Amino acid sequence: MIKAPSTSLLRAFSPLWRAESVPWVARGCIAQQVHFSTAEQRMARKKGMGPKTDMRITLIRYHLQHPLTPRPLRFSRTRALRHWTIHRAWRLYQNKLRLTRQLELERQYNSMNAACEALRLMDGDGLTQEERSKLGAEIEGSNDMGRLYRIAMKKDDGVRADAVGKGVPIEYARIQTETPPRDGWNSAWTR
Amino acid sequence: MALDRSAGRLARCIRCTRHERTLPIRTFTTTAPSRLETQETQASSEPPPPPAGATTDAPKPRLRDPNTVSTRAAEQQLIQHQRITPVGSRRRRAAIASTSNIPFSELPYQCFQEARAVLQADRKQKLEHIRVQRERIERFKAKDVAPQDEAHKEKKVADMRRRLEEQKILADINDPVVKRKFEDGEGDLNKPIYRLLADRQWRSYRRTLLLQRITQMNVVPDVLPAIDPVVSTALSFAGKRVQHGDFVDSRMSELAPSLQIQPYDKGKRLYTVVVVNPDVPNVQKDAFDYRCHFLASNIEISPTDTRVRLGLLGEEGQVILPWLPAYGQKGAPYQRMSMFVLEQAKSEGGGEFQTIDVAAVKAGGKYTQRHGFNLRSFVDKHLLKPVGVDLFRTKWDEGTAGVMQRAGIVGWDVEFKRKRVEPLPYKRMDSVRYR
Repeated sequence: MIKAPSTSLLRAFSPLWRAESVPWVARGCIAQQVHFSTAEQRMARKKGMGPKTDMRITLIRYHLQHPLTPRPLRFSRTRALRHWTIHRAWRLYQNKLRLTRQLELERQYNSMNAACEALRLMDGDGLTQEERSKLGAEIEGSNDMGRLYRIAMKKDDGVRADAVGKGVPIEYARIQTETPPRDGWNSAWTR
Repeated sequence: MALDRSAGRLARCIRCTRHERTLPIRTFTTTAPSRLETQETQASSEPPPPPAGATTDAPKPRLRDPNTVSTRAAEQQLIQHQRITPVGSRRRRAAIASTSNIPFSELPYQCFQEARAVLQADRKQKLEHIRVQRERIERFKAKDVAPQDEAHKEKKVADMRRRLEEQKILADINDPVVKRKFEDGEGDLNKPIYRLLADRQWRSYRRTLLLQRITQMNVVPDVLPAIDPVVSTALSFAGKRVQHGDFVDSRMSELAPSLQIQPYDKGKRLYTVVVVNPDVPNVQKDAFDYRCHFLASNIEISPTDTRVRLGLLGEEGQVILPWLPAYGQKGAPYQRMSMFVLEQAKSEGGGEFQTIDVAAVKAGGKYTQRHGFNLRSFVDKHLLKPVGVDLFRTKWDEGTAGVMQRAGIVGWDVEFKRKRVEPLPYKRMDSVRYR
């Protein structure tokens, strides 16, 4: 006796076997499909015959096929007021989110700005002019005053997150890892 | 859920009204319902015996509620037996009859209730801001300040007060109950939110219409150089409303009208009302003159007290020139009757509105002449600010002669005619041109 092959794949992909998985509400939808012929099916049609169509699907279809899209809705008084309330609450919530995001960005920008300003006033020893005079240390020539600030402001060399000017995109950088090493394996290494 | 599968339909939510219930509800009680009934009947007094000799009437038709009748038969019964018509549409009445009386804010829609919760939380925050702002104003007012900085302090207090008003409005602007109350006309105009909504409504259409009429009729700049209406006006003659720019029959405008002036900021203030006709024909000049038909000052108006009956104002303290009926003589074009509402000046610092000394004005004599009345000069002299304007028009009709006679106006039998313009002489050129 030959064992019949498994029909699981067939069940999964064959359209003939698919009809069972349609939910009961959509049964009228299948019955409402286009016929083979494009002529209107008007002749010799008995009243009451034909598949039982689901009114809800008909209404949804009419709603989506309206000449004005999105279809204008007509609400009763309380329905309209509820809609207005929900709309106001949603807009309020969205504005609050937007405001928090905006404030967070502002805070980050101000922090970066403050850091750059501190660097600009700092010399090679990490002191500003007034700190130097307060400590009584010598005020040297200001050739390295704000050096790190100038390096930070350069936009045309090195690897950058935003890759402006001649900068290289950060994706081209090699992430620092322990292995493998850049120089490879040195077989001639001795202690 | 184990309960759903094993318990079956009967054990589902007893209060749930979505499913049909085949068996009656049985709740857990130890006393039988019948026992309760017998106790109640024993406690109540016996019904009084029917009056002797009373005939048994036909059963009275039951009283129907005009808000809940939805079938045609019920509507007919309501009209015939109770002589009331049903209220609202049939769909509305059926909805009211079939749903329970849940107040709007408790309607069981999840998204709506969550939106309400969000808005309540926001309102709480706004109330907190209002409280903080009030404290700030009090603390700032209590601060001592050098005399040269007094003006700056006053300005800052005024700015803080304006911010407080904005915050009061922000607290209520998202409330659907407030919106509904306003739309139904039940808003209390003593509250800032209702004043704001009323102002917004006026500005959205009626103010634009008023400005269009005023500009098209050239009321501005003929009478005053410019106007920015801030109060809305509603004019009515003998109870009949007059739209801006309407023609009014001379017999209707014989008696002084009733004017409703609606301001949209809080507090009482004093207004001056002037009615000026800029179209009085002057044959010698071949142009037009001004004539003042009404002038009254010190009229107290507030957002809730808006009605002025111009005919009933006090002669001594308010009316400078009493009402002169509007008239347009025969043959002259229609006359524009412009009405201006002017706000009287505020005394500095105190915030009190200055009254105009009517007796002094009458004695002065410059502004008691109707003919040639100069409104610009009057406004400048008394530091008035134009805040409202209205317009109606008159022309010659059947009643004008009678009105002019009764008012003692000279010239009811005068007819204006157009001057004949002689045409230029026709000069025939050389006959070569004419074929």
